[in-house]
Parts: sequence; structure tokens; C-alpha cells
Amino acid sequence: MTATQTLAEARATGPYLASGEQEKRTKRRNRRIALALVIPGIVGLAVSFLFPLVYMIRMAFNEGSGNGIVVETFTFSTILDPLTDSYYWKVTADTFLMGLVVGVLCIVVSYPIALFLARTQSKWMGLLLAAALAPLLTSAVVRTYGWMVLLGDDGLVNSTLLGIGLIDSPIRMANSMSGVIIGLVEIFMPYAILAMISGFGRISTQLEEAAGSLGANKAKVFFRITLPLSLPGVLTAFLLVFVLSISTFVTPRLLGGGVVQVLATEIYDQATGLLNWPFAAALAIILLVLFGAVISVYQALIKKIGG
Amino acid sequence: MDKLSLVGLTKQYAQGIAPAVDRLDMNVEEGHLVSLLGPSGCGKTTTLRMVAGLMDPTAGQILVDGSDITDTPVHRRGMGMVFQSYALFPHMNVHENVAFGLQMRKKSKREQDALVTQALEMVQLGHLAKRPVKALSGGQQQRIALARALVVEPTLLLLDEPLSNLDAKLRETMRTEIRQIQQRTRATTLFVTHDQDEALAMSDRIAVMNGGLIEQFGAPSEVYERPRTRFVANFIGRANLLTVAVREESPQPGGDSRYAVDVPGFGVFPAVGEPGLRGQRTLLIRPHRLSAAPVVPGVDGLDGVVESLSYTGDSVSYTVRVGEQLFAAERLTSGADHLAQGDRATVSWRAEDALVLPESLEE
Amino acid sequence: MTTTAPVPFRKKFAWGGLAFKTVVVLAYVFLLAPLLIVFVISFSSNRYLSFPPEGFTFEWYQALPQQTQFIEGLQTSLLTASITTVIVLLIAVPATLAIDRYDFVGKAALSGLFLSPLLVPTIVLALGLVLVLGPLGLTNTYTSIVIGHIAITVPYVVRTTLMALQTSDTSCEEAARVLGANGTTVFWRVTLPIIRPGVIAGAVMAFIVSFDEAVISLFVAESGRPTLPVHVLRYVENSADAVVAALSVILILFSVLIVVIVERVVGLKNAL
Repeated sequence: MTATQTLAEARATGPYLASGEQEKRTKRRNRRIALALVIPGIVGLAVSFLFPLVYMIRMAFNEGSGNGIVVETFTFSTILDPLTDSYYWKVTADTFLMGLVVGVLCIVVSYPIALFLARTQSKWMGLLLAAALAPLLTSAVVRTYGWMVLLGDDGLVNSTLLGIGLIDSPIRMANSMSGVIIGLVEIFMPYAILAMISGFGRISTQLEEAAGSLGANKAKVFFRITLPLSLPGVLTAFLLVFVLSISTFVTPRLLGGGVVQVLATEIYDQATGLLNWPFAAALAIILLVLFGAVISVYQALIKKIGG
Repeated sequence: MDKLSLVGLTKQYAQGIAPAVDRLDMNVEEGHLVSLLGPSGCGKTTTLRMVAGLMDPTAGQILVDGSDITDTPVHRRGMGMVFQSYALFPHMNVHENVAFGLQMRKKSKREQDALVTQALEMVQLGHLAKRPVKALSGGQQQRIALARALVVEPTLLLLDEPLSNLDAKLRETMRTEIRQIQQRTRATTLFVTHDQDEALAMSDRIAVMNGGLIEQFGAPSEVYERPRTRFVANFIGRANLLTVAVREESPQPGGDSRYAVDVPGFGVFPAVGEPGLRGQRTLLIRPHRLSAAPVVPGVDGLDGVVESLSYTGDSVSYTVRVGEQLFAAERLTSGADHLAQGDRATVSWRAEDALVLPESLEE
Repeated sequence: MTTTAPVPFRKKFAWGGLAFKTVVVLAYVFLLAPLLIVFVISFSSNRYLSFPPEGFTFEWYQALPQQTQFIEGLQTSLLTASITTVIVLLIAVPATLAIDRYDFVGKAALSGLFLSPLLVPTIVLALGLVLVLGPLGLTNTYTSIVIGHIAITVPYVVRTTLMALQTSDTSCEEAARVLGANGTTVFWRVTLPIIRPGVIAGAVMAFIVSFDEAVISLFVAESGRPTLPVHVLRYVENSADAVVAALSVILILFSVLIVVIVERVVGLKNAL
């Protein structure tokens, strides 16, 4: 509208004297733009993530007998199979226990580094942080390989111990669960460190100094102030490491040398070796349920300790 | 014709809650700097953003040079705006920042360079043309933001509390500078601020806003000397406000009437005001027109006690309690007539300094 | 009462004790042990993965160019990681823009969706992918690898881009609009340059995650032209010589180099 008007004319004829029209039009336009921006992402994730997941869950309700033979049906029997098989109970239990042990040990080893990095004022902080996170740049395969070398019967650890005379024959670490645990603890340290550092933001040195001036010695300060305050970060780190451990494949496969069976390796064998896809899917569902259960417990705990 | 007209401009965020801007009518003359002045939440920034096009009005119209631009999108309104945070593009240097608007208007490189140089000269920052904006001080950023807005010769210049982030000394310098530049370029300007000193010092007109409404629109002297409502009297300058009842009016030639008003608890006093005022009104006496002096027998006034005083070098202000009422008095320090806290004092004023405000206090 | 000299106020943090520092050092040694050992082994002349090294040699590095499977694997990984990163940038950055700058129904759910692949065990996703892609005949192709990697890399790009958007000053975009820029121009000339560090950080993470990824690649592309991690996995399962060590050292240096370069150019610290 470009014609000039007097004020009175404008008041009488203005198109937007009715409420909200322009606002509504803008809202509609923005919704259209947002939709256009979001659709490629949704499509990409649907194809790459949602659909495979749903398909896999559906597959668990089919029947299979290996060699790629799948009977399209809807039954709970495939899922119940591993639940009624003592072997798979053992595998699940092993997986769960491994997750717990790795989680706890990883926290213990990572805590000092996380505490140090969160509070140091040294100018090397950036470099040390980078050093702590750098392992994330390498593939799990490479790091597992490193552990195979370290823990093998002729590896660094055994050679050193034999050389000093602490042991008479090599300790079996590679090709066993203990090796897998050691390897996983190290591999997941950067994740734990990161999680704990963000959780530690709340602990200021002032709190500790205050406690110190009130008469607490160093140990007391640690156990009564630092540790409790760091608990949410520790819990988050534990969850992260646990969840990563029970799902990990490469390290149990390589360091386990075929001897260590966890849910991840079983899924692989069933899917690509035996080609019993419904069964592999059933195992995957068990893994997912384990996953979900732990996350729920975590959320309940976090609420309690006031993360 | 007015440069800018707002007709019934309204912004209501949701049904049932009070509008942020309530059927605003305002006219701005070409070349004027108009301040939108008010406390936070009064709707001044919302109004500015609607004029800029950054926000849709719920109802009403915006006319520039007589044309209705209410549904013109932001980028076609041809205005210039300076934000509170200056909003300089951090990834560009000074020259590129100022040239941005010209690029949008498809000016040639040569034209751009000439205009940018001119604009930077105007704010006396020509030597910083190649500097990255992150290296500039607050005051410099502000001047660049101004140059960027003005270089495109905008239909309107919109300033959203541009001085709020500067320290006091700088604020005063920039105040004068902005006003000078505005007058030189004759840019019609809307200036949002909550600082009444700024508004009084810089504006051709002030729109005092409260709760989405314009309580008064007028020249600074008018708004200060003749506020129309209690809110305006209180917001601009300091005020002694008494609720009074108008008893008598004697119209005078040449405008104001003389009134006799009943101040509850103190008796009837003479006052002035525009003709035709009746009933319950507010009486305004500015503190520097109110005298507080040691009690001298025989001198007329209200007797009370000095409750507090504050000395600021140039002047001293007292609060004197007379019965239930607290009076604020202000005076340039002069050496004579010292009053201390707890002293008895007489409060008095001249009739011409007591103004009856037009705002009716009855429902 | 005698007066004592005032103790200088030391602003060191409370745990400056030697014991603690020793523990931290040991923890670091443990953390970096496998990488260090791989480095050492790559120069060792031992035939098998044994200790201590008997001699110093470059032979493993010299043998690398002849390892055709590693060269092929490297090509595959570089290609798929690059394609994945580009695709993910194209689909995730606009979506993140919509999530942060626009209002629409289901915004929170969408945001959750884009970050959710991080919550699902990779092996579960890998299984789903091979079950879907197998019947379609897409397994053992570059396409399958890219499709599989899109899911796990999207969250990284979304996260860093979202943070960049949230910490940027929207008045800059408004200023650009008032100056005459329409929506697209604002995005290209103002928004994108401002969030560039975050986007690049996300892209680098996506590239590295895709490059190093072993499980999904193993499930969907075990034969044909597998990625480098899959080749390494197979090699390590069967052989015991140190060629893999040499390769690993090169890969580690390669990753570190990328990160250092990008950090210099873009200033990643701010984006993390």
C-alpha cells in the first residue's frame, strides 16, 4: 500500500485493525521454514537409525534357525529362548558383571586425573587435558591391539614380571576376561574423565580451604567435602562407562581371543556366522533392556543425590 | 506530514493478559529525536521493535511518510538501528561492518568505499577502518554501530538503549555526540531509554510510557514543568506529590487558573494549574522549589523535623517530616542556613510552584 | 605471647601433595600405555609381539606400502568418512538451526531424536542395519557404510552446532535484517560465519568417529572393500607381527595432526 493517507483515513481502513492477523501469518511462515530445514535430518535419521532399529526389534519376534532362514511370524519364543538357556544367562551375567567391574575400576583410575584437571591452575592444563582426551582420536582396534601387546604371554607386563623374578610363568591376561577388563578400563578412561570434569565444576577450592580452616585435615576434607560433592559426576561417569562396556564388541573379541563371550560377541556370531537373525535380534533386545534398566536406576539415583 | 505515525499500535502476547503496548497513537515530525522513556516493562522497546519490523503488531498501523508499512518485511523498511549490544558483526572488520547495508543495496565498490569513509569520519573513527571489531572499546563499537546505521541514509533511525552499557562519563560524552550527529544528518530518530536525564538532554520530544501507554508526549521542558500525571511527575525529576481536593478556581487571563486546594491535615493552600480542574487531584511541588529552613517565629509554613539529609557537594537534600507527610527539599549549598538531622524546620513554597496535575484521581 | 612470622598465603590447590601427584602420573601412564607400547613396537625388530625389543628397525614402516589391503582400507575409510561428514553437515546444520531459532510443535522431541543415537549400543544399531540392508543387496558397498555412519555422527554435529547457536548474539542477525538482508543472506553472511567454529568442530568429530568406526563397518561391509579399522581387526585376529603397529602410529599421528591444524585455524577450544 503506497498511497498516502491522513491519519483519520488510516484509522478507518487499516487492514490490521483486526487482531493478530499478521502475527499468525508470520507464525505459519516460520513453521513452514522450520519444517523444510528439519526434513532432511529426519529422513536421514529415519533411514540410518529409526528404521533399522524398529526392523531389528520386529525381527526378534520372528522365528529363525540359522543360515538365513527366517519365518515371518509373531512369537515370543525367540526372545524367550535365550532367557531359558543357562548358557545365555551366563553370557548375560558375564556381560553385566564385566560392565560393573570395568565401571568401578575405571572410575577409580580416572578420578585422580579428573580431580587434578578440574582444579589445576597450571599452564599445562590445556596440554594435559588434550593428552587425556587424545586416545579418543584413535580407533578402539588400535588401542586393543596395544593391550594385546602389553598383556600377551610374551608381552611387556609378563616379560617384566618374569625378568624381575616376581613370577615363574606368564600370567594369562590376554585371551581372558581379566585382559578384557584391563583393556576396557583404559579405553573408557577419557569418557569417564570428561564426565567427571563436568560434574566437578561445583567443587571449589574455597570449600576445601574453608573446611581446612575449620580444623579438618587433608583426608577428612577429601572424604567429607570433596568426595560427596563429586558424587554426581562420578555417578554419571560410571553410567557412561558401564553402558559402553556392556555394548562393546572389538575389545572382548580381540583381547578375549574367542574365549570371552559377551552379548556383543554373541550377537555378532549369531548374525554373521550362524545367520540366525531373529535370535541375534532377541539377544540385542536383551542388551537394550539391560541398558534401559540401568539408565532408569541412574536417573533415580541422580535425583536422590541431587545432581 | 509527519515522518512517522503510529495508529492504535498494539501488542498483546496472549489472550487475557495485559497488552505490552496498548493502542498507541504517536506522531513524529521529520528531523525530530523522540525519546521513548519509561521503566522496564513499559513497552518502549516493544514499540521500537515493531517500528523496525522485528516484531509483528497484534493490531494497529505504522505509517512512514504517509505510507502504511505495517506488513512490510524488516529488510525492506530501509531503517537504521543501533542495538544495546551494538551487534557488530564479529567476523568482519570495521569497514566491512559499515559497508554491509550498502552491499545489501547493491552499491558499487567505489561508492561503498566513499560512503563508508565519510560515515567513519563523521564518528571520528576513520583510522580504524581495517580493525577487527573485537579489538574495539565499548564507546568505539557504539560509534561504529551508529555509522553503520546512518551510512544507508535510513528513513528512520532507531536506537535501543545504546548508552546503557557505557560508563557514566562516556555516556555523557556520547549523548552529546549522538545528538550532534542526529541534528547534522537530520535523521528522524526514535530513542529508547529508561534514563530521564538522557531523554531530557537529547530529545525534541519525549513520550513517557507506562504499562503500554503513553502518559504524556511533549517537549522536555513541557514534560518536566507541566507533567500531566502523577507517574510522569514522579518519573521525570524528583517530586513532592500530595493528594488534594480542589476547593476553588479563579481563572486568570493568559492560561492557567489559580486554585485553592485542601491538603488533608494541613489546610488550604494556593496553587496553579490548567483551567477546569475539579475534585481529587495531585499537587506537585518540585523539591528544589520547596524551601526547608530553620524555624523562625512569625514565618509562614509547615513545621516539622528533619528526618534525613544527604549532601552531594553541589547541593543538599533534606527530607522533612511534617505529621504523616514526608517532604523532600533540595537546595544548592550556600554556607548559610545549615540544618542538621533532627532539627526542627519550616517547609514552605510559593503558590506558583505548586502545580495541580490534570490527572483525575477519581474513578 | 611470642609472635611468629606470618605464613605466606599459598594459593595452591589443596591437593598439591606429592602422593596425589604421583597417583595422577601413574594414572596418565596407564591411560597412554597402549599408545606408547604401539609406538615402541613399531620400531622393534622382533618377529612376534614379544618383549623386550631386540633391535631397532624401520622395516614395518617400509612394509606398509605393500600392504594392499591397508591401502585399500585407507581409501575406503577416507572416502566414506568424507562423504558421511558432508552429508551429515547438510542435514544436521539446518535442522539444528530450526531447533534453536524457530518454534514449532515437537521441538524438544526432535532435539532428543537427533541426540539419541548416542544412547543406543552401536552393536544393536549395527545389527539393525545389516538386517535392513542385506535383503536390499546394499551390504558391502560404500553406501551401506555411509548410511550406517550417518546415525552415529549426527549427534556430534548437532551438539556443537547447537552450542554455537545458543551462545551467539541474535542481535547481529536482527541488525543484518534491518540493514536489508533477507533470511538466506542473513544465514550465509552472518549466522554461518559466527557459528563456523562449532560447525567445524562437529565436522572434525564426525570425520574422526566415522574413520575410526569398526563395529558398524564390520557388520555391513565385511567383504568387498571394507574400511581400514575392519582390515586392521582382521589382520590382528590372525597375525602377530608389528606392521599393524606401524600403521597405528601413522593413524595416531594423522588424527593428532588434523586436530592440531583445525585448532590453529579455527580455535576449537571455544567450540568444545
